[in-house]
Amino acid sequence: MSRPVSRRAIIGALLKKELIAYSRDTLYLVLTAMTLILVFVLFWVLPDSVDETITLAVSPPVKTLVSEGESSLRALGATEEQLARLDQADLTRKQPGLDLVEFDREADMAAVIEGRLEAWRTDDGELILRDPATGEKKPEGATRLVIDIGIAFPARFIGEVAAGARDVRVTVYSDATVPEEIQSAMKSFIREAAYQLAGAKVPVTMLDETSLVLGTDRAGDQISMRDKIVPLLAFIILLMETFSMSSLISVEVLQRTVSAVLVTPARVSDLLAAKTIFGTGLAFGQGIIVLALLGAFTASNWPVLVLTMLIGATMFTGVAMIVGAAGKDFIGQLFYAMLFTMPLLIPAVSILLPGSTAAWVQVLPTYPIIEALVGATVYDQTLAQLWQPLAYGAAWLVVLYGTGLVTLKRKVESL
Amino acid sequence: MTQFDATPAAAIEVDGLCYSYGDLEAVKDVSFGVRPGEILGFLGPNGAGKSTTIKMLTGQLTPKGGTARILGREIGHDDPEIQARIGVCFEEKNLYLNMTALENLDFHASLFGIKRPDSMEILRRVGLADRAKDRVSTFSKGMRQRMMISRAFINQPSILFLDEPTDGLDPVTSAAIRTTIKQEAERGAAVLLTTHDMFEADALSDRVAFINEGRIVAIDTSENLKLKYGKRSVKIRLRDGEGVREEHIPLDSDDTSGRLAELAASPDLLTIHTEEATLEAIFIELTGRGLAG
Repeated sequence: MSRPVSRRAIIGALLKKELIAYSRDTLYLVLTAMTLILVFVLFWVLPDSVDETITLAVSPPVKTLVSEGESSLRALGATEEQLARLDQADLTRKQPGLDLVEFDREADMAAVIEGRLEAWRTDDGELILRDPATGEKKPEGATRLVIDIGIAFPARFIGEVAAGARDVRVTVYSDATVPEEIQSAMKSFIREAAYQLAGAKVPVTMLDETSLVLGTDRAGDQISMRDKIVPLLAFIILLMETFSMSSLISVEVLQRTVSAVLVTPARVSDLLAAKTIFGTGLAFGQGIIVLALLGAFTASNWPVLVLTMLIGATMFTGVAMIVGAAGKDFIGQLFYAMLFTMPLLIPAVSILLPGSTAAWVQVLPTYPIIEALVGATVYDQTLAQLWQPLAYGAAWLVVLYGTGLVTLKRKVESL
Repeated sequence: MTQFDATPAAAIEVDGLCYSYGDLEAVKDVSFGVRPGEILGFLGPNGAGKSTTIKMLTGQLTPKGGTARILGREIGHDDPEIQARIGVCFEEKNLYLNMTALENLDFHASLFGIKRPDSMEILRRVGLADRAKDRVSTFSKGMRQRMMISRAFINQPSILFLDEPTDGLDPVTSAAIRTTIKQEAERGAAVLLTTHDMFEADALSDRVAFINEGRIVAIDTSENLKLKYGKRSVKIRLRDGEGVREEHIPLDSDDTSGRLAELAASPDLLTIHTEEATLEAIFIELTGRGLAG
C-alpha cells in the first residue's frame, strides 16, 4: 500500500497536469500568442509623443485685418512704430502651441474644414489648395494641414469693433469632431478680443504667469497614446488569461475529469488551490513580463505594479472559476465569458477616452485596478499614493475570488 | 494521519443506505457486503440506483441515510485513507484527452503519492503498451474503456468500483476487460461492478444483487438465484414421425429417474436440455420489468 500523500504533492501533481493541458491546447496557445503580438504591435504603432500645437485658420489674413483697421488702431493709441512693427510681423510663422493658417476667402476656409478641399503648405509658407475630387496631383514638397477650427472675421472687424458697432458678425467654423469645450473657448477668445478693441476691459484679473495649473503641469510634456495604453495592455493580458483559464476549468467540468481526481486522495480544496495558483500565476507572470518588456517599471512604481497585477490576476482567476463552472458547453462558456468580462473591460477602455470617468464605471470591480495601473505606469505614482484604489481593489478581489471558489466548489461537488 | 491497520472480513459493508435527488428517491434502504477477492455484480436497468450507490461509496455523494463502511472506516468524512485504497472506473470516459496514455496513468498515480508507478506494465495488461505515448484523443472507444480500467488499477486498490465497465464494447474487448477484472479479484481486491448486461453479471460475479427502483430485490450467487427462481426441469426433444415433439420433465418428481432412463433409451431422442432460468428471466419475474429499460 502506498504511503499517505501530502497535500503539497497532490497540488504539485495537479499543477503539472494543468500545465500539460494548457500547453497541449492549440486554442489557449493561439489565444496567448495573438494577445502578446497584439499588445506589442499596439504599443509600437501608437505615437510616443503628443503634438500640442493647435492649428487655427483665420480669414481674411491678419495683415488685411490690420491694414483695414489701421485708423481704428491709431485712435486706440497705437504709435506709427507699433503699427509698422505689426505690419512687418509674420503672424503665420509657427509659434509654440499655435499654427495660424490664413485664408483669403472664407469659403475656402470653410471648405477645408468641411473636408471638401485640402490645404497644403510648402516649406516657403505658401498655402496651396487642392480639390481631391478633381484628382489633381498632390503638391510636391508640401505638408498637408489638418485644420479643425477656423474664424472668419469681417475685413473691417477691428475698425467696426473699435467704433462700437453692435452687429459685428464673426463666424467660427469647426469640424464635427472638435469638442464643444474648444468651440466655446474660441468664442470666448473672440469676445475678449472684441472687448479689448472696443476699449472695455474684461472684468477679470489675470496673473502675470497667465494661469495656474493645479497638479502636475504637463504643458509640453503630455502623456502620449503609447504611455496611455500600457495599463490597458496589461489589463488585456489578464483578461485573455481569464478566457484560457475559464476554458480549462470548463473542459475539466464538462468532461468530468474532475470526478476522477476527486475519488483519489485529492480533495476539492486541493483542486481549487491548484486552479488558483495556476490561473493567477499564468496571468500574473505574463502581465509582469509584458509590463517589463514595455518598460513600465521604475524604481518607485514597481511595488505598486506588482501588487496591482497580483490583485488583478487573482480577481480574474475568481472570474474564470465562475465562468468555467457556469458554462454547460463551449458556446455557453463563451457566453458567460463575454457576460462577465465585458463589463470588467469598460474601465480599461475609459482611460483612453478624454474627460472624467462616469460614476457607474468607477463602481466596477476592475476600476481600482485600472486606476492603480494608470497611476503607476503613466504618473509613476507609488504605493503610498495609490493605497486607496488598491484597498478598494482588494475588497473586490475578496468578493469575486470568494464567489468563484464557492461556485466552482459547488459545481464539482454536484457532478 | 493514521495508517490503515484493519483487515475487516467485509471490504464493503452497507446498511440501509439511502439517497434522493430532490423528491426522487434514487436509493432506498440498500444493504449488502462485499468480501476481499469477491466480485459482486449490481444488476439492474438504467436509473435503478446502481451508479448512485457507487457514487456514495466512492465519496462523490453524501448518503442521505444509512451507513456504509469501506475497509472498516465509515464513509462520508472526506477520508483520504479510504480514497487511497479504492479504484474507480466511471461510466463516462473521463480521461484527459490531450494527455498521453502514460501521462494519464502517471498523473493519477501521483495523486496517490506513487513515485514510480509501473504504468507501462498496467498498459501492457490491458493491451495498450504500444500506444502508451499517444494522446488519448486518438483512441477508439474500446481503447478508452481499457484506459479507464487501467487507471482504476494504478494504485493496486483493495476495492474496485466499476460502473458499466464493458458497456457498448465489442465482444473481444469485453472479454479482455473481464479477464483483467478477474485477475484483480484473484489478487484480493473486492470488486463492486454495476451492469445491466445479465451475461456479464453471470460471467464475472461471484454474487449478484438485483436492484430495481432503488431497492435490492434479491442478492445471492448466480447459481442459487437460478435454482431458487428457475424451473427444475429438463426439456427433451424427440422425433415424432415427420416432426419433433418436446417433453418437459420435472426433476423433483418421484418418477423422474425412471422417465429419464426410458427416454434416454429411446431411438427417437434428439436432445436433452436443463431448463435453467437466465438472470434476466429471474429479474423480470422479481420486478416485472426487463433489464434493458
